[in-house]
Amino acid sequence: MATTATLQQTKWWTGGKSPFNMEYGKLMMWYFLMSDAFTFGAFLISYGTIRFSQNFWPDPNVVFNAFPGAGHANLPLAFVSVMTFVLIISSVTMVLAVHAGHSNDKKGVVKWLIWTIIGGAAFLGCQAWEWHHLITGEHVVLAGGKLEVIGQSMRGNPWGGLAPQEEVMAALQNTSHETLLQLSQMGHHGASATADHAALTHDQLLNSIQVADLHVREKGPVAFGGYFFGITGFHGFHVFSGVIINIVMLLMTQKGVFERRGHYLMIEKAGLYWHFVDLVWVFVFLCFYLI
Amino acid sequence: MQHPAFEEVTFQHHTDDATFKKKVRNTTILLSVITIIELIIGLLIYNIHKGESPNELLVLMFKGMVCILTLAKAYYIVSVFMHLGDEIRNMIMTIVVPLLLFIWFIGAFIWDGNSYKNLRNTYDKHYKESTMPTPHKGGH
Amino acid sequence: MSETLMTTATVAGQATTHHEEHGHHQESFISKYIFSMDHKTIAKQFLITGIVWAIVGGLFSVLFRLQLGYPDRAFPILETFFGQWAKGGQIQPEFYYGLVTMHGTVLVFFVLTAGLSGTFANLLIPLQIGARDMASPFLNMLSYWFFFLASVVMMSSIFVNTGPASGGWTMYPPLSALKQAGDGQKIGTDLWLISMALFIVSSLLGGLNYISTILNMRTKGMSMTRMPLTIWAVFFTAILGVLSFPVLLSGAILLLFDRNLGTSFYLSDIVINGEVLPNEGGSAILYQHLFWFLGHPEVYIILLPAMGMVSEILSVNSRKPIFGYMAMLGSLFAIAVLAFLVWAHHMFVTGLNPFLGSVFVLLTLLIAVPSAIKVFNWLTTLWRGNIRFTPAALFAIGFVSLFISGGLTGIFLGNSTIDIHLHDTMFVVAHFHIVMGVASFFGMYAGVYHWFPKMFGRYLNNTMAYIHFWVTMVGAYLIYWPMHYQGLAGVPRRYLDKSGWVNFNNFRDLDQMITIVTILVFAAQLLFVFNFFYSIYKGRKVRSQNPWGANTLEWTTPVNPGHGNWEGDIPEVHRWPYDYGKDGREFIPQTEPVSANESKH
Repeated sequence: MATTATLQQTKWWTGGKSPFNMEYGKLMMWYFLMSDAFTFGAFLISYGTIRFSQNFWPDPNVVFNAFPGAGHANLPLAFVSVMTFVLIISSVTMVLAVHAGHSNDKKGVVKWLIWTIIGGAAFLGCQAWEWHHLITGEHVVLAGGKLEVIGQSMRGNPWGGLAPQEEVMAALQNTSHETLLQLSQMGHHGASATADHAALTHDQLLNSIQVADLHVREKGPVAFGGYFFGITGFHGFHVFSGVIINIVMLLMTQKGVFERRGHYLMIEKAGLYWHFVDLVWVFVFLCFYLI
Repeated sequence: MQHPAFEEVTFQHHTDDATFKKKVRNTTILLSVITIIELIIGLLIYNIHKGESPNELLVLMFKGMVCILTLAKAYYIVSVFMHLGDEIRNMIMTIVVPLLLFIWFIGAFIWDGNSYKNLRNTYDKHYKESTMPTPHKGGH
Repeated sequence: MSETLMTTATVAGQATTHHEEHGHHQESFISKYIFSMDHKTIAKQFLITGIVWAIVGGLFSVLFRLQLGYPDRAFPILETFFGQWAKGGQIQPEFYYGLVTMHGTVLVFFVLTAGLSGTFANLLIPLQIGARDMASPFLNMLSYWFFFLASVVMMSSIFVNTGPASGGWTMYPPLSALKQAGDGQKIGTDLWLISMALFIVSSLLGGLNYISTILNMRTKGMSMTRMPLTIWAVFFTAILGVLSFPVLLSGAILLLFDRNLGTSFYLSDIVINGEVLPNEGGSAILYQHLFWFLGHPEVYIILLPAMGMVSEILSVNSRKPIFGYMAMLGSLFAIAVLAFLVWAHHMFVTGLNPFLGSVFVLLTLLIAVPSAIKVFNWLTTLWRGNIRFTPAALFAIGFVSLFISGGLTGIFLGNSTIDIHLHDTMFVVAHFHIVMGVASFFGMYAGVYHWFPKMFGRYLNNTMAYIHFWVTMVGAYLIYWPMHYQGLAGVPRRYLDKSGWVNFNNFRDLDQMITIVTILVFAAQLLFVFNFFYSIYKGRKVRSQNPWGANTLEWTTPVNPGHGNWEGDIPEVHRWPYDYGKDGREFIPQTEPVSANESKH
């Protein structure tokens, strides 16, 4: 069965060989990924189901519009596209690592694995920043007849529709003093303003707040936060374990384990896992950021 | 040529270095281009939503396009990066065929989610009034 | 032949032959019996753990049947054992719901999933396809130990102060998602979810191994269509598990979040004990979709291995080829595919879209076609056969009977209109216990009686086996047949005490009868357990390599095969496994080459 000429006649299912021309470990990895695809599929489909059962769903461009170091500039989709490219590039470096393994090129494997690990770590860093930004974000919402300042959490988020002006005006009267103070500071940036505002009376505070600048929204669908953190978290967990796997592979390569074994098939399996993580991100990107 | 470690493997794939590198480079460029198109469409949707009376049909069409582009991206990742395209037909089928289950999995779930919304809008007036976006509430 | 000589030698000195066979390194007790990587030992571990769980789960059913049969009677002995859970000798409501939940969980997942396919997939796959062991013996061992860990967590949940999970084995939210809903919804439910997560890992590791072993490790000549039906059945079972269990994992993770992190995946508009909960926008139906996306394939995960073993055992013991081998394969495949498409027929009364429901009715009723093909083929295999009524054969025939009875009531329930009346009544309980519970148990018993000689080199005691069979067979029908009538009359399931309904009072005697039979049947199972452990040490020894005169490869190994199964080379296969009664010969093993003047089958 050596040459391609006899390949055509190979009877794949007769036993004594793999019907897929694949060793069992790689086969198991494929089926594991298939199974994992159903885990992620179930998460994303649940998300879709809940989204379809709601009358209102936040526009992702409103939610994901920040960029590290860009302050309050409105840059929809900019940061997530950086994250996407980081992951795609790390996938490419992984392909190269696997390819180097095929030709038993230890140096190449080490080099490309290191790049892949850096890519993975960079992605995790980006995700950490994004989570942090969303959780600690300060957004004014109209809830229960008064204004509140909240970020996005598993229990609530500020991504509802824009609140009607007249309701916001009415709500301003019921809002607590602390919140008003916070609101007036949000309008005027800079440390010097803080001291001034603290001294203001309640009425002066009320007057200092420009309602139109605050973009007051209603609270968004609760499930939005839960699914966002749940699914990106589960994906992040996969990236994290992928990075760990790659580090282990790197150490094993450097110790010459695969060299002695005569093949780098383990790298291939780790590669499959890593590409799967990228693949899942493609769909997470679609479901949360694009549509 | 027999595989060095596993007797069940009949032959080994061989691609020469140059062809392979070219293939990887082309795929990378392709994936990047698709992603950029997706981003452009995403921003288009954003701008449509910002307008006075967003054309929902247009938005839906754009979203459909993004979904198709994503499937194309998934195809290239699986086929080139994961080398599924280089495997023999048996293997490709054993991965692709079970994925067909997703059609009914997605369809039935989404269908029922949508139906749940319609049921509540029909029978729970309070739910409808409190959650239905009014023209000035929707979008940005 | 020297083969027979060698066999006797193996029987005489198990310990010595073990090492001589493969020149394996010296195995310690721990590596041989506890952290063993031998598929046969792992199979025995699954089986024995399954038996322990079956006793626990069965005992639970006896306890709550006591309550159902004798709602006003006090049994002081219960208080002795269970203290506050059975105050005054009466089973308390929390205890009752805990018992029902644990009974379902334990029997469905731990006994009929792990105990059944864990045992027989592990034992039979390498032996029947001609492999030395599983593709990855290490992952196979991990699979058992994850199951063990899941068992430990589940068992520990029974002993926590607030009791085990009590939301029913389906664990529907919002009940299961709210800790303030009751004692059983406290730590017990968290432990249940963790245990299930571990169990899913175990079943995934096992399933991946079964699939890649069957595909990759078949011996020369063992083409897919020469595999025994047992292997086909566990193959489809593994595929079902690998593709559907992850969906339950997702559902369980979301439920854990709802319970512990304040998310609202499944919760909306809830007032509990006068407190208005902030949760909003979730959908309890979503959980049911996720659960049953696993839950329905799960019933076939339970049933298919039993079907496979029954096919094999019926053919061997009626000394006839299996009727319609390809039709059997096709129907297994059809059942496996349909299993994924019909999950919402468990949800007709949830507020599911009625039109969507009707699609699910159609798909559900389609299952009747492959099921009927299988029944027809089993009956025609038996027809004019030279049947040997061994205990295994009896249980296999019993399986067919039960599968017919339970399958027919499935047609009632699969129709959404009839289901509206029958849903959540005893009719449902009767249906799924017969078709999935008892039938699969019969398949499992058939398997144990048939392959016990291969597992332990000894036979089970026949007298005890016949008593076990007849008591169980008659008892199963006595227990579940009347439940259909109760269900048609509207008697609800899951109720602790129905004495509030005057019109159900006439079922009192019936309920008592069911309870008494339950106790007798449980006793018969204990007899089996005794037989099992007694025969491991004291059973009649197996003297011949192929005691049942079967064609499949496992009977070409030594009576007590070592790690590696065959002493010499792995045999090559030349024919399908069902050449019984052919050309005047009683049976022709798979290893025998096809001779020139042999007739075609």
